Amino acid sequence: MRSSKWLRVSAVRVIALQRRGIGRFLMKPIAIAVMIAAATCLLTVNALAAEPIVLGWVGPLSPPGNFSGGQEMQWAVQLGVDEINKAGGLLGRPLKVVYEDTKGQPAEGSAAAVRLITRDKVAAIFGEFHSSVALAEADVAHKQGVPWVGTDVWADKLTALQYPEVFRLAPANSLVYVKVAAWMAEQGFKHVAIIAENTDFGQDGARVVSNILKEKHVDQKLVTIDLNQQDFTPALLRLMSEGAKPDIIQMVVAGQAQYQIVKQACQLGFAPNAKTKMLGSTGLLQKEVWEVDGDCAKHLLVVNIATPKSQWNNKAKAFAAAFQKKYNRAPTGVAMEAYDTLGVVAAAIRKAGSAERKDIIKGLSQISYVGVNGTYSFPATTDPAWAYHQFIDVPFHIIQYTASNQAPSDAPIVYPKKWATTDKLLPAN
Amino acid sequence: MTNRISFSHGLQVLLLATALLAPLIAGPYWVHVGALAWYYAMLASSWSLLAGYAGQFSFAQVAFAAFGGYASALLRLRLGLPLILAVAAAVIMAMILGALMGALVLRLSGPYLALFTLATAEIFRLILVAEEDVTRGSLGLQVPGLFSGDSDLPYYYLGLSLVVLTLLAMNGLLFTRIGLFLRAIREDESAAQASGVNTTLHKIVVFVVTSGIAALAGAYYGHFVGILTPNMVILPEMGLVIAMAVIGGIESLPGAVVGAVIVYGLSEMLRDYGEWRFVLLGLVLILVQRFAQNGLFPFLERHFDRPMPLPSPTRNALDIEGEHVNLS
Amino acid sequence: MTYFMLLTVNGLVIGLIYALMAAGLTLVFSVLKVVNFGHGSFYMLGGYAAYYAIGLLGVPPLVGVFIAMVALFLFGVAIEWLVLQPMYTGKVERKDEYAIIVTFGLTILLTNLALVVFGPFSKSPPAFLQGTFIAGPLILPYDRLIAAAVAVVLLVALAWFLARTSLGQALDAVSQSRESAAVIGINPKRMYTVAFGLGSALAGGAGALIAPIFALSPNMGELPGVQAFIIIVLGGMGSVSGSIIGGILLGVVQGLGVGFLPDPNRALAYTQAFGALLLIFVLLVRPTGLFGRAHTRLE
Repeated sequence: MRSSKWLRVSAVRVIALQRRGIGRFLMKPIAIAVMIAAATCLLTVNALAAEPIVLGWVGPLSPPGNFSGGQEMQWAVQLGVDEINKAGGLLGRPLKVVYEDTKGQPAEGSAAAVRLITRDKVAAIFGEFHSSVALAEADVAHKQGVPWVGTDVWADKLTALQYPEVFRLAPANSLVYVKVAAWMAEQGFKHVAIIAENTDFGQDGARVVSNILKEKHVDQKLVTIDLNQQDFTPALLRLMSEGAKPDIIQMVVAGQAQYQIVKQACQLGFAPNAKTKMLGSTGLLQKEVWEVDGDCAKHLLVVNIATPKSQWNNKAKAFAAAFQKKYNRAPTGVAMEAYDTLGVVAAAIRKAGSAERKDIIKGLSQISYVGVNGTYSFPATTDPAWAYHQFIDVPFHIIQYTASNQAPSDAPIVYPKKWATTDKLLPAN
Repeated sequence: MTNRISFSHGLQVLLLATALLAPLIAGPYWVHVGALAWYYAMLASSWSLLAGYAGQFSFAQVAFAAFGGYASALLRLRLGLPLILAVAAAVIMAMILGALMGALVLRLSGPYLALFTLATAEIFRLILVAEEDVTRGSLGLQVPGLFSGDSDLPYYYLGLSLVVLTLLAMNGLLFTRIGLFLRAIREDESAAQASGVNTTLHKIVVFVVTSGIAALAGAYYGHFVGILTPNMVILPEMGLVIAMAVIGGIESLPGAVVGAVIVYGLSEMLRDYGEWRFVLLGLVLILVQRFAQNGLFPFLERHFDRPMPLPSPTRNALDIEGEHVNLS
Repeated sequence: MTYFMLLTVNGLVIGLIYALMAAGLTLVFSVLKVVNFGHGSFYMLGGYAAYYAIGLLGVPPLVGVFIAMVALFLFGVAIEWLVLQPMYTGKVERKDEYAIIVTFGLTILLTNLALVVFGPFSKSPPAFLQGTFIAGPLILPYDRLIAAAVAVVLLVALAWFLARTSLGQALDAVSQSRESAAVIGINPKRMYTVAFGLGSALAGGAGALIAPIFALSPNMGELPGVQAFIIIVLGGMGSVSGSIIGGILLGVVQGLGVGFLPDPNRALAYTQAFGALLLIFVLLVRPTGLFGRAHTRLE
């Protein structure tokens, strides 16, 4: 009864409103109907067919996450997926990866993880760049018993939780920065200025460096920056003017904010030069460093989480060539880590002979896989806590650019001794 | 008038029933999304009260939520307080801060108020980032979960009950004289003041109530997601809350809840579009505003009601001019 | 002393460029009574426009800035016509909320579109002039010096335009009272379009000036956008001279704050907070900003 009354009322309304133009009247219900239809469609979408093996990739592809790092990672994985499928797939089945943008927000990470696990029914999840997001994802993975392999997440905490499902390719901060700090002390630097980004990576890494330097009685100053800032001149001026001038600036900054720090330090006549060196990380390996910093980038020291080119195995060379060809940029260590993460998961599946989650976890804990960046294994060490399922033999070296537009692989290596091609830091004092 | 209220109640009951039963057909992913949506629903509806009814366009809502989240987590972790006590204490502290905020913005209006609150939210975010010894900064503050087991259902229903409770509380407030006065303040503050309404007190009361609710929402969020980061206070997050409230209908509290569910659900649905996800979301926000400006919920309400054209509460020169142009 | 001077000069320079952006925002507000939350993305687009103009057309960097301003003017006009016009042709009821949501939606749309179209990697247009200007203790990169100088020129031109030309005065009239302006024969709708276009052009110009200094990325407009809001409220919304002073004040306060707060780590971490604190303080003392018109309200 009510409905017929409603119909009459609506009919009257329609006629009345026709004078004002039907379009306006229809727009709203159409918009709502479309949205409801879309919702219904998506809710009842079936899970993907059982035939392909489905994996889930997570990482930042938009702000506030580090989207340039995430993009590199995604590209490397896509390359790997193509290669695997061209060679016949995994266990005779095609490989499919679902990519989820986690934006650097933990809530996005957990939602993405739940989605990948319950809707796409992935056999494993891998990737990620931000530790806080990784922790949220790892939690979900742990609850659901799904293997989770971290590509470029550095916080010690991640593996220190010792979840059986969680594995990590990236170094723990304690692995790399302990050595870097020791190297700085050994090189005789007396006053170190640490500029760290205020993210999980920066904070944790800076703390590790700071502790080691304190142990070795090296004077140090710590300054944290927000990645969205662009003007570091006041901070640099301060470092230059207060107390003893640093003889090395260590940047624990993941991304391209480093370019600005380098550029502005250079413009101030502060660094890098004979009196003050600059040591940075991954972002400085991308070709944009020359575009943004020009000649200022000469003499930059960079920590490269990769084996040096001279040590590349055939896989690495092939990967670098393919990446360069497809994306018109040389892959950095992050891209190589991402490619290797896919390789590791694929290898675990092959070793286990199955794409079941439990079997993949088992495969990962027993595997020894030769990737482009090293030979991976994930022992279940429990001391120190963060060494659990952590790839320990993380290769890294420190290069120094010596000529304009130099590719990282052509730059001389200053650390470690076994790979070093020079023992002098330029410019000489 | 009576027709409108009773049917509106009917519709709300229907929606509540849908929310209660949805997990049965929706699957674990949408249950997870729903549980997250309840966080936004509480923020959107309380913001709707603050901005829609009391006319205080505050940008600090997410900051209060973060405060609630961090405070309750820190009280639990650092001082070992039991859950209920920690959350209650956090909510009370937030209410005190809300009162302070309400007092500070008394002389401000419109965009000045908005930007003042934005500035305070920014400062709070910076404190969260900088004081990493306490908050663990961007590494994130891990919060222990509330329920054991791997299902999100308990969180979903907890969130839903919190949404219902806060809606009931706010509606209760609105049906008292306080609500009437709030409406009056929004329509025309000077007139209300001239009529003897204690605008100062009422504005502060609204801030107190809404910051308490925001803090509760934040505590819920922290315990559900398991980790709190300063990124929950960035401007796009606040903008999202505002969008949800406005799409749902800025003067409708249940509307804001529906708006939150729709917008958040939409942002998840759009994941299929990969890199276009947020491009499309932005587009949808613009289109919805353009074509369904009063929000979707009041549209639904009105659709089931006798058409009674309401005069626009703030007719001004632009309206007059618009009509003038149309006639000629 | 040198340190103090360097910080002040640097703050002044950056502040002037932000003031340029803020002037555009305040102009839009004073004429259309709309806070354009998408202003930061126009700034970003201006930067990219200059980059591509220089790269694809081979024009010198300063010409690139000019092209960016023209491009953003046209873009602003298009956006105004598509998205904002419904506000005053009677199709939309609550204009203030509409404006906020729609401009916020615009930011999300443009930022993510820029990410898709321009890619996630930083780009850097060539410098205006390589090298650093050194005069005694003063160190100032030429890029910053030139950008500040151009910003000053543009701001002065804007002020002159608003005060001396008939179009500018028409804009000012509309900003004071739409009805009165209509009465004396000014078409408010056309003024809205001009104002929005002009405001966008100013934001685009600021972005193009900043581009060689700070490099481009799709979300580069977020922080400057917030700072522009702070500046216009600081200076008083609707006041162009207010936004100039506000911009300079913000730049200098930030620089000095970072330089002088005792703990260097906190000082840098709280960079943005100095501006926010300044804003809070000013609003508590003067609720409509330093030079705001008391009767200006969002309707």
